Amino acid sequence: MVNTPDKVSPLADLAMPNRPAGRQPQVELSERLCDSLVQVQAWPGTMAKVHKAISDVTGTRPAKGHAAALKGPVCIMPAGPGRYLIEDETENLEIRLRAAIGAHLGAVTGLTHGRVVVAIRGEKAAWVLASGIAINFDPSAFPVGDVRLTHHHDIGVTIHRTAEDAFDLYVFTSFARGFWHWISTAAEEVGYSVG
Amino acid sequence: MSGFRLNLRDGVGTAIDSASTVTFIFDGKSYEGLRGDSLASALIANGISIVARSFKYHRPRGIFTAGSEEPSALVTLRKGGRTEPNIRATEVELYDGLIASSQNAWPSVDFDLMAVNQLPGKAFSAGFYYKTFMGPKMAGNRTTQFWWLCEQLIRRAAGLGKGAELPDPDRYGRMNAFCDLLVVGSGAAGLAAAELAANSGASVILCEERALAGGALTSAPDFIDGQLARDWAADKCRQLVSHANVRLLTRTTVQSYFDDNTFMAVERVADHVPTPAKGQVRQRAWNIRAKSAVFATGALERPIVFPGNDKPGVMLADAVRRYAVEYGAAPGKQVVVFTNNDSGWLAARDIARTGVVVAAIVDVRPDVSDVARGAGEDSRAKVFLGSAVTRAKGFRTLSAIEISAYNELTGKVGDTRDTMGCDCLAVSGGWSPAFHLTSQQGTKPVWDAELQAFLPGNPTQKWHGAGAMCGEMGLQAALETGAAAAEAALSEAAVPAGVADIPVVDGDRIDFAPAPVFEIYTGKKSFVDLQHDVTADDVRLAHREGFVSVEHLKRYTTMGMATDQGKTSNLTGLAIMARARDLPIPEVGTTRFRPPYTPTALGAIAGELYGHLKPDRLTPMHDWHVANGASMYANGLWSRPESYNRPGESVEQAYIREARAVRAGVGLVDVSTLGKIDVQGPDAAEFLNRVYSNGFAKLPVGKARYGLMLREDGFLFDDGTTWRLDEHRFLMTTTTAGAGRVMEHLEYHLDVVWPDLKVAIASVTDEWAGVAVAGPKSREVLKACIKGVDVSDKGLPFMGVREGMINGVRVLVARLSFSGERAYEVYCGAGWGQALWDSLLKAGETFDVVPYGLEALSTLRIEKGHVAGPELNGRTTPLDLGLGGMVSNKKNFVGAALLKRSAFHEAGRLQLVAIKSTDGQKIVGGGHLVKGSLENPGESEGHTTSTCFSPELNCYISLAMLKQGTARHGERLFATSPIRNRHVAVEVVSPHMVDPEGGRMRG
Repeated sequence: MVNTPDKVSPLADLAMPNRPAGRQPQVELSERLCDSLVQVQAWPGTMAKVHKAISDVTGTRPAKGHAAALKGPVCIMPAGPGRYLIEDETENLEIRLRAAIGAHLGAVTGLTHGRVVVAIRGEKAAWVLASGIAINFDPSAFPVGDVRLTHHHDIGVTIHRTAEDAFDLYVFTSFARGFWHWISTAAEEVGYSVG
Repeated sequence: MSGFRLNLRDGVGTAIDSASTVTFIFDGKSYEGLRGDSLASALIANGISIVARSFKYHRPRGIFTAGSEEPSALVTLRKGGRTEPNIRATEVELYDGLIASSQNAWPSVDFDLMAVNQLPGKAFSAGFYYKTFMGPKMAGNRTTQFWWLCEQLIRRAAGLGKGAELPDPDRYGRMNAFCDLLVVGSGAAGLAAAELAANSGASVILCEERALAGGALTSAPDFIDGQLARDWAADKCRQLVSHANVRLLTRTTVQSYFDDNTFMAVERVADHVPTPAKGQVRQRAWNIRAKSAVFATGALERPIVFPGNDKPGVMLADAVRRYAVEYGAAPGKQVVVFTNNDSGWLAARDIARTGVVVAAIVDVRPDVSDVARGAGEDSRAKVFLGSAVTRAKGFRTLSAIEISAYNELTGKVGDTRDTMGCDCLAVSGGWSPAFHLTSQQGTKPVWDAELQAFLPGNPTQKWHGAGAMCGEMGLQAALETGAAAAEAALSEAAVPAGVADIPVVDGDRIDFAPAPVFEIYTGKKSFVDLQHDVTADDVRLAHREGFVSVEHLKRYTTMGMATDQGKTSNLTGLAIMARARDLPIPEVGTTRFRPPYTPTALGAIAGELYGHLKPDRLTPMHDWHVANGASMYANGLWSRPESYNRPGESVEQAYIREARAVRAGVGLVDVSTLGKIDVQGPDAAEFLNRVYSNGFAKLPVGKARYGLMLREDGFLFDDGTTWRLDEHRFLMTTTTAGAGRVMEHLEYHLDVVWPDLKVAIASVTDEWAGVAVAGPKSREVLKACIKGVDVSDKGLPFMGVREGMINGVRVLVARLSFSGERAYEVYCGAGWGQALWDSLLKAGETFDVVPYGLEALSTLRIEKGHVAGPELNGRTTPLDLGLGGMVSNKKNFVGAALLKRSAFHEAGRLQLVAIKSTDGQKIVGGGHLVKGSLENPGESEGHTTSTCFSPELNCYISLAMLKQGTARHGERLFATSPIRNRHVAVEVVSPHMVDPEGGRMRG
């Protein structure tokens, strides 16, 4: 029996923890490893049943509006009409959701390898993001718990505001280094550490 | 002009720190200034009169204004890569170690030999370039040819500063901001607007161009609510920034106003320090989206044009006042004020209060208000009413003026009344509201006959004017209209406005209406546009020559062009043209201001994007490729291995070696870049059947099929294989470059054309890493490492798809071939891509496996006659490429209708063939297929598309598109490229040059 090797992130050599000497960094960047990320798409008219199926598998239902639903390690993020990105610690999430939903209710697509999660935290986190992403990061417009699908130039990114000063950024894997280069360069102005 | 530092005391030098000295260098010489000085004020305080030379005549130029409207005092800042030319000295904040130099002068700004240009001054009048440098290019037209030679020399003699040729080492940032209310300008009107909005709970961005907020209040002598104006402004700013909903941006110029209330502002983050701190940006471009805006941008004082008015020492009156009051820098020892309105008198009074001698006030009006008279008495100046300055005298700088009687109604100059020595003439010709932002949005200005100025007109977007910007002159009016504008703006932003608390003003109340006098005409040279050396006579010449439209006037004379965009000259020029045409000014028209308001560094616009306009996309095996000698190649956004060059090997040698190895044994190529789209749903098969030209409805589970996708107009769009993973789930692959557009194409058809289909699509390009294992020994390699898959012909037939494990990694394997050899595409989760690559390499060691790059991949497919991007170029149909058999006539599909149009079936269409070089020469890409010689090639009958050296055929080959090509196999032609001097003898052959029966890939 051969063990499955560890997944290798494109940021493996870049997102190494370090804390620069000198001034106090105002943001911390890190890569958060994602065990399972699955996209679910309900058909028109099957949303309620899909919600129930998701709930049966993950223990929680999608929230309303732009908000993510959180329960333990499960995070269900809205990604469009009837579409959700679901993250969990279990690696067989895709199989379980596909079994529960079935083609008659919707589509289930595994994206665990297709996204890299970059976390940014700190009092200047919104400032750093706003320097490259043209959405309103004011908490009144983008409350804690909300999710936005947007892009930084040619790089698509899904943003989950996990706290007033913290965001998880789901970035397409092949763009991850380019995104890291941008965000770390942008964060130089306020000083950053890698956690 | 012989400027000097005044005795600094309360009310004199309000913007500077008298205790803090800074050293700076101008034209190589060291000077001292005070912290808070602008470069202009420091130069004045050091007695520097000549700061620059004019654009065309190289006439000496001094400091004319105290703000961003400055036309004359342009300098070059800094050194090396940070060199920045054409910077207004009036806007530069002094810092220790600042290096500035004059420009457009040789050998020095004080003694400029190029001033010889003044001698033939008339010859360099308006239209000089058009009349001189443009003419028919005819043999024997020696005059024109001579001037072409002269043009270079003259262009070198004229102009502005020179930019740096070194890379700019600084960073430029960008920021996206949103607000309920954007307030532009922090003078009385702006502060009143911002205060009301802030107290109402609205999110407010307040932008101020200068380092110090307060606008005109910073030097105003008035009191507001019992406080000196500048103290009131400072308090208001402190209160505003204490609000969490207010952002005050100083050193920030709102440059541009775009649609949907979007603004671009440039913040000069680190221009006031020698170099930006680590990580700090030099400038930041703010992209501001405001629900509404209040423009409190004030008004710009304009000059009066008179003979000699460009001499250093002639300045705008308010600028002289500000230098004296704010910077404690007296522009001259003996100041005369020349005005056509009351504000000039107040300036005279304020200047005199700082200790500067105001020798005289000259007003074109025969009588003035009591307030003006009082101010004149306070200034203890000699008063000349009904008079005008008719000449400024002096060798290089102002030394005296001539004052004559003047009739403001007729414009007639009378007898000379006095000739007075003075080294500074402070001129006020009235005020022009600064409505540049509204003009950018197309708002047509309207003429105000009383103010003799244009006002901004009716809004076309959500903005409101306040204060002098909309003609509401005076401090009390500014405060009142500021609050009123904010109230209206908040209503638009759906924020309930609180109650405005208008403060009480104790100060001057004057009538700002000027006498309608723009020029004192005596027949002698007077300048309208100081930056471009445009004289009043140039405007009249333009009129005589028929360039009477303001747009023509601008282009013919260059008035209003370059760095200042005519901020101090446009209206005066317009007035002179109106007089020449005997029309009222508004009937002559006005030009529209364009963004940006002031010159903007390109770096600020480009932001952080310089160096990489697009991000790179990297495959999971990227680092391995680089570490193993691959030369990387940009394929769209992707970075792909071109070839793995061994030491001393060229790219061509490397790809030939790699392709040979694949044909003889086995090779690996990274195909992770192929577009991959997950297609799911009960109607997925039907959906694919509609978007591909060939059938997909009956594709069995566990099989892949090559498909052609057409645009609606019948042209080929993209191709690729689609794998059926289960009854309702497919994995579609696309070309690397076409993935994005295929995704959009599919989404469009699902959302708009067939919304009833239950199909979901998702890009999974980044989910999967892909490796193609190709060559006669590929099966052995796979067999050595894969578990759970029978790789025999029976277990995994051609186009079969299976799932298995390779060293603990779950993989999908499809038996597909792009090379024409037996081959497999192996996919796994991207995070395991490198592990998969390593496993396949290790399994292939015994079979001498080689990695191969894009060049070898292309060579193999050209030999096989497989089409790719160069053939799928948007101009070909399946029939053109010999793929007619893949066009179903049993079903409908996207493009089916228009594929039947007759033009696609004409006999003369280009068809896919291959050509082989018969003389050993390399075939060039894009070469034309002809019958004639290099010198006389004849009509093009087609062109090459994909070229390479074929190791299999041992000659240069190419795929090509040839008229009626299918019927011309065996014909001899030439592939020619006259511009590259290449003419290659070729033979037309079938595109299927290797294994045309397909036995290798199927067997």
